[in-house]
Amino acid sequence: MTNVRRLLLVGASALVLLALPAGGAIAADLDDVLYEARGSTYTASRLVVSLWGGQTQVTREFVEHSDGMEMVRRDTTWSMVGNGKAALMDEESTGVTFLTHQPGISADRYTITQLDKVTHMSRSCHIVEVREGDVLRAAFVVDNRSGALLIQELYNGNGSLYRRTTLSDFRAYRMYEAPMDGNDVPMEIVMPEESALLPEFVAGYQLADAFSAPGGSEQGFYSDGLFRFSLFVLSGHTTVSGFEEPMAFVAESGVYDMVPTAHAVRLHWEDGSKQYVLVGDLPPDHLGDVLSELPSPDAGSMWTKWWRRLFG
Amino acid sequence: MLLSSYLDGALTPVELDEVVVALETDEVAIVEFRRLQEIRRAVRVLPMLDMPLHLLPGEHLGEQLSAYLDGELVTLEMPVVSAHLNTCIECRRELAELDKSRTAVRALPGIEPPEFLEVHRVAKDDRKHGRRTALAVVSGVAAVALAFTFGPFTSEPEPTAVSISDLQSRHTAVASVSSTPLGIQVSSSP
Repeated sequence: MTNVRRLLLVGASALVLLALPAGGAIAADLDDVLYEARGSTYTASRLVVSLWGGQTQVTREFVEHSDGMEMVRRDTTWSMVGNGKAALMDEESTGVTFLTHQPGISADRYTITQLDKVTHMSRSCHIVEVREGDVLRAAFVVDNRSGALLIQELYNGNGSLYRRTTLSDFRAYRMYEAPMDGNDVPMEIVMPEESALLPEFVAGYQLADAFSAPGGSEQGFYSDGLFRFSLFVLSGHTTVSGFEEPMAFVAESGVYDMVPTAHAVRLHWEDGSKQYVLVGDLPPDHLGDVLSELPSPDAGSMWTKWWRRLFG
Repeated sequence: MLLSSYLDGALTPVELDEVVVALETDEVAIVEFRRLQEIRRAVRVLPMLDMPLHLLPGEHLGEQLSAYLDGELVTLEMPVVSAHLNTCIECRRELAELDKSRTAVRALPGIEPPEFLEVHRVAKDDRKHGRRTALAVVSGVAAVALAFTFGPFTSEPEPTAVSISDLQSRHTAVASVSSTPLGIQVSSSP
């Protein structure tokens, strides 16, 4: 190799290196963006604001995020979430572990646009917009160095913002030893099961896994690669607590009891023989589409209700 | 001392706040914290002990499943067993069956001893102790026998109430397996 060729090669390599953003390559698609965010390591204060049915839900919490695990402190309560585990870390800590390998559900119905670099909280970032066709579904401010999503904005189909999550007091780490790992918490172990009851696809969401759940119920976990929800199918006998003072969610398929939180929407309804609980982070218009493909709420005549009460 | 407890996750919330402030402002504390981390890191990278053959991936877990459910595995065994469970359907099924059997046994009502088995209080201490032990053994055996005799023929008792917090925690746990980091929450109250 001549000296000229060598120089050209070194020069080209240097140009390629300079073209890469500081701290790592920008993700190519939505799956990569979310994967890198999941693997980021940081501590931060997290503020989540959601708008559901004209009401605002707000949560402020301190988060330690490392390798897919999160330790979350809300007021004086710690909880641990990640890699299939969820546990409350109080005096009588208990938790649940799902031993499952979900199929990689690709976020095919979404496309992303990477916008110009921005500086946020004195950090070098870029903006990622997620669209479903022409509809803006999400906008993220992504920290270039760690891949963490410093701001997440989620949009309804009509363009209105329904959830905004912001991180402040953000500190990124290469390595971080979380103060708690949850290894001492007794965990219920749950494994996936075959289900003949749950539909494989609902309004663009794919059934990733099915599990048995409390009260003889069945849990179906659905995802479209970006948003997720769980559908719990319970027998008519089961009492579901937590819906004592619900809001009404009105969809074309009927009226549902709704108790939203800052992080998720939670619905409850009954048809003739079963009860259903839906928990998820999906946008309101997606929720309407999903509900239209599931059994509808049964207004039920007085006789039906009495019959069910007496004989189940 | 507090820094060590911080790494062990043994601090109270108040102590934790103190440590966080110290690590932000106090240079001596920061240096000490780094030194402590380095020491721990050095300990962690010490050569591991040789792994027993029966723990190597590929072997089914057998009796270790029971220890896994009891939380009696030693630290060294835990990652190996977890990794095996992630890949072996047979062991996962066996673990599920084992867990179901234990739940059935736990759900059995306690058995009260009939009157004619009542221990005479005037008996000597050693005799009393022996009878009670025998009674416990008889009760235990009877409970297990009942579980295996009637367990398969009776329908599983159906709990009558579930809470939305529990269902949400289950959703959160499953959702945390996938790569999407949106909407994570474990609730303690509805």
